[in-house]
Amino acid sequence: MMFAAAIIAVLIAMTLAVARALAGPTAFDRLLAANNIGTSAIMLLALFGFMTERPEFLDIGITYVLLNMIGTLAVLKFFRYGALGHAQDLDKDRDLS
Amino acid sequence: MAQVIDLLSWAALLGGGFFYVVGAIGLNRMPDIFTRMHAVSVSETLGVGLMIFGMLMQAGFTLVAVKLIIIVLVMWTTGAVATHALARAALHDGEKPLLADATGALVATDPVSLFPELGVRLATPLKSEIVEEEPVESGAPEDAETLAEAGYGAEEEDANPDAERPDSADKEGQ
Repeated sequence: MMFAAAIIAVLIAMTLAVARALAGPTAFDRLLAANNIGTSAIMLLALFGFMTERPEFLDIGITYVLLNMIGTLAVLKFFRYGALGHAQDLDKDRDLS
Repeated sequence: MAQVIDLLSWAALLGGGFFYVVGAIGLNRMPDIFTRMHAVSVSETLGVGLMIFGMLMQAGFTLVAVKLIIIVLVMWTTGAVATHALARAALHDGEKPLLADATGALVATDPVSLFPELGVRLATPLKSEIVEEEPVESGAPEDAETLAEAGYGAEEEDANPDAERPDSADKEGQ
């Protein structure tokens, strides 16, 4: 029951984040909303696993946590350089990163 | 005892849900990408932390609790890193944060005008801009030196020293 309440809260938050992702004026707003949706998905997985008493869902949650950050950084790097380039090419900008 | 734990779980999960929704509302109502990041940070630290705490109470001392702690620790660290990278990318892209001027009105202000030392870093040219300026003949040796100083590419120099030396000798001769 308590997990259902938390799941409802997360679903509301997820809907609002989707609204921002659709409306966001800049690409960074959309990326921020996407990151938040990813976090919400992890919390949904964990809470749903607890609600149905199948905590194996947490393993999937751990994977999502790691993928979420890597995905965000990859998209940011793409914005910055226009490509997911080699480390050698990016070395000139070492001061910035 | 079980009731106390249930009560703690209820409080933590409801509190976490509250902060999560507050962060999402802030994501929609804040005027600026940087303030929106601030709102999302609320849900990603307090909201997630409280909800995980509520689940921890129910899990007890089991492997599930360890997994929950792993999730929350990774989320706290990577969330900060991702937010930092996002803010830097937005600043570098030319996003101007809304700051209050003397009268209190919100104005999109260039942060470089407020923090001159920040401008040095923000104004450092990108790779695409450097390529146009630098002449080709001086570019290659400088790169090798700077890379060697920083410890990059040391293996490559050791591997083929012959390939580098005649090239630089020719240029000195010219």
